[in-house]
Amino acid sequence: MFGQLIVSGLAVGACYALIAIAMVIIYKTSEVLNFAQGEMAMISTFVAFTLLETHQVPFPYTLALTLLFAILLAIFFEIAFLRQAKDPTVLGLIIITLGFEMVLMGFVGWKWGPDQRALPFPVSNIEAYNFYGLFISKINFWTLIVSLVLMLILFLFFRYTKLGIAMRATQQNQLAARVMGIRTKWIFSFTWALSSMVGAVAGMLIAAMGVLDPPMMMDPLLKGFASGVLGGMTSLPGAALGGALLGVIENLFGGYISLSFKSVVAFAIIVLMLCIKPSGLLAKHYVKKV
Amino acid sequence: MVKKNLIFVGLLVFTFFISAPASAQAVRGVTDTEILIGQWGPQTGPAAPWGAVARGTDLLVKIINEEGGIHGRKLKYFLRDDSYMPAKTKAIAKEFVEQIGVFAVVGGVGVATGMTARDYLMENKVPWFSPVTGVYEWIHPIQKHLFAMYPLYDDEAFNLTGYLYEKLGFKKIAMFYQNDDYGKQGVMGVERYLLKHKIKLVEKVSAEVTDRDLSTHALKLKNSGAEAVIMWTMPTHAALILAETAKIGFKPQWATSNTLSDSALMMGITRGLWTGMINSNFAELPDSNHPLMVKYREAHKKFAPQERWGVFYYAGMAFAEPFVEGVRRAGRNLTTESWVKAMETMKDFQGIGLPVTYAGLKDRQGGKHVFYGKVKPDGNIERLTEWIKITK
Repeated sequence: MFGQLIVSGLAVGACYALIAIAMVIIYKTSEVLNFAQGEMAMISTFVAFTLLETHQVPFPYTLALTLLFAILLAIFFEIAFLRQAKDPTVLGLIIITLGFEMVLMGFVGWKWGPDQRALPFPVSNIEAYNFYGLFISKINFWTLIVSLVLMLILFLFFRYTKLGIAMRATQQNQLAARVMGIRTKWIFSFTWALSSMVGAVAGMLIAAMGVLDPPMMMDPLLKGFASGVLGGMTSLPGAALGGALLGVIENLFGGYISLSFKSVVAFAIIVLMLCIKPSGLLAKHYVKKV
Repeated sequence: MVKKNLIFVGLLVFTFFISAPASAQAVRGVTDTEILIGQWGPQTGPAAPWGAVARGTDLLVKIINEEGGIHGRKLKYFLRDDSYMPAKTKAIAKEFVEQIGVFAVVGGVGVATGMTARDYLMENKVPWFSPVTGVYEWIHPIQKHLFAMYPLYDDEAFNLTGYLYEKLGFKKIAMFYQNDDYGKQGVMGVERYLLKHKIKLVEKVSAEVTDRDLSTHALKLKNSGAEAVIMWTMPTHAALILAETAKIGFKPQWATSNTLSDSALMMGITRGLWTGMINSNFAELPDSNHPLMVKYREAHKKFAPQERWGVFYYAGMAFAEPFVEGVRRAGRNLTTESWVKAMETMKDFQGIGLPVTYAGLKDRQGGKHVFYGKVKPDGNIERLTEWIKITK
């Protein structure tokens, strides 16, 4: 049982990690917590569903079109709402994301209705690989792989590409970045687009594992946020580690201590980390000079 | 001075005559041409699939109005979305009574939601027919204006366990349930039956409404060695637990409540894993040839083609039919009293749902029957039994 709990924990942790990474990308650049992340991923997944189910579009094209939709949605939100905010504070921007989350939730309910659906997906969520008696479903296995690959790409992107470095510079000092010739407005749009793409991938994987319905991202978003806090909201490897740890801790808690209180573990971790190490496990703690 | 007094007295008399006829005709929500009724239901949020119930009632209202109404009055129906949030339900109940002024509330999905409105409606003597959940809160204590119809979860679970244990021979039974009143009353019924036979559940696993990862739950069920698992959950959790248990190669006989009897929906979201599910039913099957079902299906095509014809949808008709029958029996002189009297003498009334009988003020649980079905690979349900009485 112990081994299976660890494997299942890592598998679900990969989903948390993807959501955490999507949140971290935005937070790294603008210090904004995007509470619309879940619903942006959810609406992208509904678009994928419509393409696959209604229009019978082959999966690779669906994936490309869904990611394109996610990019456009994020850029639209950034330009139409966030950029229009007058003298925005971080708190003000966070509130705007909360409002956008409600708009998206309402729109999806109106457009696609409340019924649960199954997202047609090329990888089965029922069939499993058996590693020496430990089961991992095909979809969970591929989620792990996708998460690791995405993390690696993003890590390399932020560390070694000019755009990645520009994004980090924008987060550290927007004014200085602008003085150095970085077009910070476009950096923000790009950040949102990148985050939305990662979120869309997470949304599709999560829907393929379970069911597709408007509230499907409520729980994963909370867990993703907890993972980010655990690993560090400014650290991509931290977010990944946070996701994996949270998945495993939750499963072990549910398996050996109490299943009823399993869902409280994420909240407890948020509170504990904020008390003990607010910057998270892998992020550096910056103290701003006044 | 005398003149002033005369004017004052005159005004008093005038006011009296103005107000007297108003109180005489004051049957809230009943006019010469209309009867106002209301229902809340989750049209958004995690329980939204059950919101189809409230929209189903709308179809029944349209059918009745097209046929000319009841005793010269048409039904005017108010549907409000409470998102399955108790605070909203209470506000809706107040709107129904204080702003719209409905004659009655019909249906209403949810235990916690309905509980916030129950006492308020009863204090205001607003008839409430058939909250769409089967819990004791609607009949204990007995309330004059509250008539329950939905079969009790406790009795349903008790009898379903008996069906698995005695009829199908499963001795090791586990339970997977939602950690709230709905799920707990299911557990109550299962444990009550097993206690009678001096055995225990081999495992009892609960899930919170918002949980999306059920891998640990599945593992616990598998390790219990259960031959049959009874589930008392929302559709999402049912789909998730079936997928999780299938992954780890655990395939017991599953059985569930009538709340998950929409097999078309469940087959879709479980990607076929719903096949073989045994569940109880409170209404005719979707493809039934019952004359009323044929009539309703036709009306559905005409009035609400955008709706999916599923159990949750036509449950909204099944749980409103006896209310309408009560209005018919009350006659043209419809008052709260005449409707209550008509309901109290209802015996074995049956539309497309379970038979309904009330016995004066002693018994407000009208629905006491279910039948069992088994889901076939094509998603249709094979009827296993006739209507079985589950509440003594």
